[in-house]
Parts: sequence; C-alpha cells; structure tokens
Amino acid sequence: MTTPDSTTDRSFARLRAVGRRLLDHPLPWLAPTLVLLAVFQLYPMVEAVLMSFTNESLVSPDTEFVGIEQYARLATDPQFWEMLRVTAIYAFSSVVLHVLLGLVLALAIDYGVRRGLRGHLTTRVSVLLAWIVPGIIIGLVWKVMLVESQFGAINYLLGLVGVGPVPFRSDPTLALISTIVAGTWRGTAFSMIMIYGGLQRVPQRLYEAARVDGAGRWNRFRHVTLPQLKSVLFVTIVLVTIYALNTFDLIFALTGGGPGRSTQVLALFMYQEAFQDNALGRGASIAVVMLVANLALTAVYLYAFDVSEEI
Amino acid sequence: MTNNEPQSDGGTPVETDTIRQEQPTSRLRRLAETITAPATVDAAVYVLYAVAVVFFVFPALWVVSASLRPEGELFSYPFRLLPSEISLTAYQQVIDAGVATWLVNSTLVTILGVGGILLVSVPAAYAFSRFEFRGRRGLLGIVLLFQMISPVIIIVPLYTVMSTLGLLRTRAGLVLLYVGIQTPFSIWLLKGYFDTVPMELDYAARIDGCNRLQTLRYVLLRPVAPGIAVVGIFNTVLTWSEFVLAFTVLRSESRLHTISIGVYKFQGQYGNDWRAIAAASVIGMLPLVLVFLGLQRYFVKGLVEGSLKG
Repeated sequence: MTTPDSTTDRSFARLRAVGRRLLDHPLPWLAPTLVLLAVFQLYPMVEAVLMSFTNESLVSPDTEFVGIEQYARLATDPQFWEMLRVTAIYAFSSVVLHVLLGLVLALAIDYGVRRGLRGHLTTRVSVLLAWIVPGIIIGLVWKVMLVESQFGAINYLLGLVGVGPVPFRSDPTLALISTIVAGTWRGTAFSMIMIYGGLQRVPQRLYEAARVDGAGRWNRFRHVTLPQLKSVLFVTIVLVTIYALNTFDLIFALTGGGPGRSTQVLALFMYQEAFQDNALGRGASIAVVMLVANLALTAVYLYAFDVSEEI
Repeated sequence: MTNNEPQSDGGTPVETDTIRQEQPTSRLRRLAETITAPATVDAAVYVLYAVAVVFFVFPALWVVSASLRPEGELFSYPFRLLPSEISLTAYQQVIDAGVATWLVNSTLVTILGVGGILLVSVPAAYAFSRFEFRGRRGLLGIVLLFQMISPVIIIVPLYTVMSTLGLLRTRAGLVLLYVGIQTPFSIWLLKGYFDTVPMELDYAARIDGCNRLQTLRYVLLRPVAPGIAVVGIFNTVLTWSEFVLAFTVLRSESRLHTISIGVYKFQGQYGNDWRAIAAASVIGMLPLVLVFLGLQRYFVKGLVEGSLKG
C-alpha cells in the first residue's frame, strides 16, 4: 500500500537514478561536441572533397559529376603554379623570419628576466600586442604605414636617407615582401612564446654542468640550449608553416592578392575562384590541395610531438 | 674586464691569462670574451629590446597619430610625426558609417560564441580527462586533428552547408560555427588543466554523495578555473578578430556585420582616405588591446601551457 506521495517520491528517485547512470556514461558529456564537429568540421571537409569532383557553381543550378576535371585543370593552369610559388615563398620566408626573430627575442627576454634587466616585460607586451590585432586591421595598419608617397611613414623615413618613394604595394616583388613583413609583425609573437616556454623547461643543472666544464656563453647556447630546444623549434616550425600556408585576412586587406597575382596565396585564390568567379567546384579543388598540405604537415607534427604519450 | 664582474660566468681564470697570450688564438679568444662579457651582452639586449619595441609598437602608434589629424594634414609638408592639432573628424566619418552596429554585433557574437564554446568544451574536457572508454584515444586524436586544420579550408563547402541548414546570413549560424570550430582547441587546453587535478577529489566528492555533474560543478570547477579563464580569453581574441568565416556566413547582411567586416568594407568605400581608414583601424583594435593589456599575464600562461600540451 503506497500513498500517492511516496509514488512520486519513488518515481522521482528512479528518475534521479537514471540521470545518475546517464551521467556515468561519457556520451552525454561528449554529445554536443560530437554533433558540432560532425556538422561544422567533418561534413564540410567531406563535402569539399565531393564538391571538387563536380562543376558546382553559385550561378548555375545544374551540378554534374566531372571526375578529376577540376584537378586536371589546376595542374595545367599556369596561374595555379604561379600561386603555389607565391604561397611557398610567403610560407618559407614567414617561417624563417618568425622563428629566427622569435628565438632571438625569447632568448633576450629570458636573459633579461634572469639578469633582472629592465624592459623585458615592455618588449614582451609590445610583441604580443601586434599579435592580437585582428588580421584585417593589420592589413590596413600596414597599408597606412606603406602609403606610396613621401607622406607614408616608411617612405618618409626612407626619404630622410635619400631613398624613395618606394612603391611598396604596386611593385610585384615589393608587394610580396610587404605582406611578409606585415605577417612577421603579427606572427613573431607566437614563435617567441613557444620558444620562451621551451627555454623555461631546460633543466638548470645542464647549464651548471656546462659551466663547471668551463663552457663559455656561446658554447652553453650551442651545446645545451639548442639541443634542448630542438623539439620545440621543430614543432614551432611546423605550426608556423601551417599557419602561413592558410593566411588569408592579412593579405586580403593589404594587397587583395595584387598587383596582378603577385601576392595571391592559396587561400585567396580559392576564395576568388569560389566566390568571385562563382565556381564552387573549382574552389573546392583548391581547398582539397590545402587540406592535403595541412594533413601532411599535421602528420609531421604528430610524429615530432609524439602526442600518443599524452593521450 | 670579465674578471672584474661579480656575476661573471663566461670568463677564464686570471692565472691562465699570461700563458694564453703566447698562443695564436689568444687575441681571438679575448675578443670573444669581450663580446660575451655580461656588460656587452646586456647592452646588446637593451638595443634589441628598443628595436623590437619600435618595430612592434610604431605601426600601431602611427595609425593612432594618422587618425587624429585635421583633414589634409596627412598630405602636407612638413611631415609630422604627431598631429599639429587633434581632430576627431575622421572618427565622425567612421561613426557615421555605422561603427556602433559593428561593435555591438562583434560584442554579441563574441559573448555568445565564447559562452557556447565553454558550455560545450568544459564537459567534453571533463569526459576526456575522467572517463575510461573504448575509442577515447582515437576520439581525442580526431579532436586534435580538427584543431590543426585551418577553418579557411572549409569556407567553400561551408557556404552550402550553412545554406542547407538555413543558417546563412544569421548571427546564430555564425555563433554555432565558431563553437564548432573553436571547441577542439579549447577541449585540448582544458583537458590539460583537468588532468592536473588529482582524482582523489573526485573520489571524495563521490563518497559525499555528489553525482558527476555536482562533482564538476562544486569540486572541479574551482581548480580548473585558471584554464577556463585562459580558454575564455583566447577565444575572445579569436572570435573578435575572425574575418573570413563571418564574411562567408553573413555575406551582404550589413546589419549583422562584425567589426572586421565593417572596417574592411569601410576601407573599400573610402579608398585613399588614409585618415578615415586609420580611425576605423584604431576603433577595430582598441577593445582587444585594452582587454589584452589587462589580462596579458593569463594569456602568456595559457600560451606557454598550451604549447606544452600541443
């Protein structure tokens, strides 16, 4: 014999038990993530691959399967190879400059912290400040810096030493260099922080041992710091490469890919094919090229980092 | 010189100096010692600091200076580093173009986006840290993989995906997209923080009758709070700055445009009006710069720890 009260109590208790059992299963915790990843990451990637085998267009309703036509077209398109060249130059220079500058700054800041020098915090904050400015606005900031008359800040300074005015954005080679400089302005912070983090993890006893052995400053750097930083440097190089290969907003705002196609990197080319020429299929084939490059670099990254231990 | 420095750590002992002088390499070695002497290195480091600060801060300051000029001054002689007088007319132009709308939109998208990211990634990070289940490693690997692949790559198919879901030209669509894109990185970072909290806390909570949700809410949330702050700051910066996804999803729906899109469109319209473009840029970067200056300590902490975790 149960009173209505205790029935509700009991069903309530049962509900709680069910809830508790549900909470003991990982699925409810992960479900939102899995759904979002499936819809906004996995599916679009699969769709990109599928789309690249069609002639899908924003203006024509008929979409047909065209096999590898888009890829054949890319392979025979001199513009594609030119764009690959531009992307490679941009990515390579970015990696060299970001990592080198990042290394020098990280060492200088680390040194400053240890020796109690003034200004290391100001330096760190300045470098990081450039990094958090939105990409589009970085493009515009450098556009304003590089105005191509003696009224532009850089051209004025060059004028003082008798150079210029320099056509920073209308000369093809200089335009590419300008995007690389603007990219370095933004990207150095990341390398700096990664390497600085690496420096903090070098065991101090290694330095002490080297000092006991009579190693000078250079030898300690060469034989202790660098070998200890090897994996951090490698990981940084891979990440910066991936980042540089996918650069879009900064170049979009600074040069728009011009003059001509002299600063048109992969991402810009893809965007223009898909949304300015309305050729989604063609854009998708470039996206797949980028995807393959990203996956290959990620594989290298995983190999270097050996995340399997971490998981 | 080296030997007089109390903190000297690269020098050779004095007594060997005379012997060294006989050797052919001794002058070179002396030179090397001078170069690596603490005082020389200190000076070099100070010079480096100065150069770095100028290179990284000057462009931003120049844009501020350019934006505050009276009309025409930017293109007149003599060249001035600072404005002759402060004029806010360039800002008036940006305000008239609708910057308030862009700022409100960016703020809304950022708050909703970051809130959504935390709501989804905290439970997921908890699960990856606290549950043992089949396929856990594989799933975590996939999450990491998505973190590595740039969202730029999927903008072409994204257009059709968003269109199919009816999310094109909507704010909700953009927010959902940000949550989907940023979650992997956030989970990865948060999992690292959860892993540092000892399981004993969970067991104790269990004995006290907490279910897992209560354990997370009342016991674990406090120790992982620094991680949540870091993930929050990070995603705020990323969401506020993001351009290409917003541009692709919002298209020509100008009343929803975020600050990046607004400023980009504005400069397209104003072409060579550098003063106006500078003013728009200042407004676009100011909110993040202020947030960053206040929180940069946590930011760096998160970066250093994030780089550890991958």
